[in-house]
Amino acid sequence: MLNFVVRRLLAILPVLLAVSLLTFLIASLLPGDLALVILGDQATPENVAALRRDMGLDQPLWWRYLSWLGHVLQGDLGRSFRTGQTVLQAVSERIPVSLELMLMAEFIGLLIGVPVAIACAARAGGAFDRFMTGSAFAMLSMPSFLVAILLIYLFAVELHWLPATGYVPFTEAPLSNLRFFVLPALTLALAEWPGIMRVLRSDMIATLQEDYIALAKAKGLKPSRILFVHALKPSSLTLVTVTGINIGRLLGGTLIVESIFALPGIGRLLVGAIYTRDLVILQGVVLLVACGFVIVNFIVDMLYAVLDPRIRHGHA
Amino acid sequence: MTNIAAAARKHAPIFLVAAFALVSPAQAQKPGGSITVGQELEISGFDPLKVGVFDSSGFTAAAAIFDTLTTLDDKGGAAPKLAESWTHSDDYKTWTFKLRKGVKFHDGTPFNAQAFKENFDRQKDPANKCRCAFYITNVKEVLAPDEYTVVYNLTDPSVNWPAVISIQSTNNVVQSPTAWKTKGDDYNRNPVGTGPYILKSWTAGDRMVLEKNPDYWNKGHPYLDRIVLKPLPDAQSRFASLQSGEADIIWDDENDADNIMKAQKDSKLTVHTYKGSGAQVYAFNTKVAPFDDVRVRQALVMAIDRPKMSQAISNGLSRPASNPYGDGSWVKCKDDGALPFDVEKAKALIKDYGKPVEFKMLVTATPRGRMIGQVLQQFWKRAGANMEIEQVDQATIPSRAFTRQFQMTPWRIVDLADPDPQMYANFRTGSPLALAGLADPELDRLLDHARVTADIGQRTDDYCAISRLINKEAIWFWTFQNTYYALSSAKLKGFPKIYNSVIDVSNTWLE
Repeated sequence: MLNFVVRRLLAILPVLLAVSLLTFLIASLLPGDLALVILGDQATPENVAALRRDMGLDQPLWWRYLSWLGHVLQGDLGRSFRTGQTVLQAVSERIPVSLELMLMAEFIGLLIGVPVAIACAARAGGAFDRFMTGSAFAMLSMPSFLVAILLIYLFAVELHWLPATGYVPFTEAPLSNLRFFVLPALTLALAEWPGIMRVLRSDMIATLQEDYIALAKAKGLKPSRILFVHALKPSSLTLVTVTGINIGRLLGGTLIVESIFALPGIGRLLVGAIYTRDLVILQGVVLLVACGFVIVNFIVDMLYAVLDPRIRHGHA
Repeated sequence: MTNIAAAARKHAPIFLVAAFALVSPAQAQKPGGSITVGQELEISGFDPLKVGVFDSSGFTAAAAIFDTLTTLDDKGGAAPKLAESWTHSDDYKTWTFKLRKGVKFHDGTPFNAQAFKENFDRQKDPANKCRCAFYITNVKEVLAPDEYTVVYNLTDPSVNWPAVISIQSTNNVVQSPTAWKTKGDDYNRNPVGTGPYILKSWTAGDRMVLEKNPDYWNKGHPYLDRIVLKPLPDAQSRFASLQSGEADIIWDDENDADNIMKAQKDSKLTVHTYKGSGAQVYAFNTKVAPFDDVRVRQALVMAIDRPKMSQAISNGLSRPASNPYGDGSWVKCKDDGALPFDVEKAKALIKDYGKPVEFKMLVTATPRGRMIGQVLQQFWKRAGANMEIEQVDQATIPSRAFTRQFQMTPWRIVDLADPDPQMYANFRTGSPLALAGLADPELDRLLDHARVTADIGQRTDDYCAISRLINKEAIWFWTFQNTYYALSSAKLKGFPKIYNSVIDVSNTWLE
């Protein structure tokens, strides 16, 4: 096992390095010159040249990358030229919001996806199964901004059940906090459960055709017991991976959902940084998020190995 | 406006009654309560050295936290605020303001001429490299001859200076010197002013809470106990928040035409529309072909069907402009010399020119920028001209404009109390912003004359002559006037005009 962990860890390093390089390049290749953005209306050629010198923008790209990476490795991701906040300050203020949103969305996604998948697999090809597979497909094709607006109109504007926008920290008012999160989390979850359901459903159908299930049936075990005890665990392997990969998708979803519901999370920070060309924040946030994604996937790999011994011994 | 000019003619000190006539006395103002303002953007801060200039969201907060020397009354003329009265020299280059006594910043620092001067000097100091310095290049210095007198020495005459400095910009709001000196880097997010509201708390990306200043110098003001500012970036959910009552007033613009029209039909909502001065404008570079020929420029202007364009970009909300002043300006022209919409004439002019008309136009890389570019492209195609859209980042446009690396570029004339600063910058020979590059002695003469003349009638004649000259030469053209919007609950009262896009809620109350 230790051998496996070390192997995986070594494989991560080049990935992280590539991530840092890509992040840096994205910000550098974006249209628009940082010096112009900062100077705005007074971007006379002299002012621009002076500022570019001050900021080291006149240095070659590779040199700028290395110096930026050097700072990053010392924990200095830079400071926004617009707000004066450091990247770490800005991110640490907003991480809790995005984490809560993603966890809640994943939870609701599982809450819908798992029972539906089990019910579909139990009578594969039946009316319920066909209806749900169709619905899942429809849900997957709905863009999340549309879902969000529909939910807002239904629950906030028409019914007045839930707030349309806003946020309070959990520590201040736990109940209001959860109320604020219901709609955004539901928006993400509605795009999340079809994936969960389809993976688990097909795995379950495959498992239910295994010999030992036939044996269990022959023994006269209750169908519910067979489903939940004998079939669910072996079928959840792929689900773990999917859940891990979903984190990345959810992160993408937060960009849209946080903007629509005005939640002060990482997604909003990133969108704001793109609009205002706050390249320092942009680079820093993308780097941290990408690293977070790599690390989460590493953890998922480990979990997978724990669940399925064949993997850690290298013959999956 | 007119009272300034009349008084200016007399060269006499003006002692105005220090009363705000911002709200009509017919409405009963009710103290108490709290409102939430839905803004488009997150506020980046208040320290001029950090943010340079305020954006639309920053303005709203600044209007509540800070005061300016002057304010605009409902007619667009200057009225007292931190300054009680003012006088000027005969050449309009020196303006002396007498300050209100006994005013204190929220941190207890006394407000006086010295504090005001420190604000100015800090922004002007070249060592600070403040973006805000760009807008005070016409101010040579600010002096504080005694505790309650401030003197502006300007490089150029300005007959309307008190109105010009009424906007709550980084240059005009007064911040506490003690606060920025003691807080350093943290001052940006902890602003201290003399205004009606004090910053209570600010959660990044979420909300800013402003509470009533109990010691505000203007007794009986403000009315509301609390103002909450929230960034709601998505136009649809911002409007939904207003409908569901989570926001009491929201910022909006023509891009959101559908919701504005919805709000107009909703009795529970009020649509606040301010038809400002200025316009959305475009400059031809007359130094390069094909725009070195007046026929081509005129042809392109004549090919624009503004009402149709308005339908295409904002459901018809955009108001066509035929001069750079707009309905919100005191400059009213009987004849502004606008070229008529006439495709046949445009075709004939291009035929007359005899060479193929092909050029590039800069547009901002935004959905709206692209749409405007495409609409114009179609109009011009019809007249026989081929325009290629060149999409650039918003920040690139000023630099391309300054270095004259363009054939045609979008620009903006913002809502200001006086046309002089922008007209002079945009059209006077030798100005870095005279983008068209056409040196015209008559135009220069008119611009020079208008800025040293106090008489409104004469100035109007000058500016209308300027408009006729620019329209005839077609060196710039104007598409739409500036219209500023705010949508609010019908219960919100006392909301003033949206001068220069500033949503100022500091004087409102709830019914």
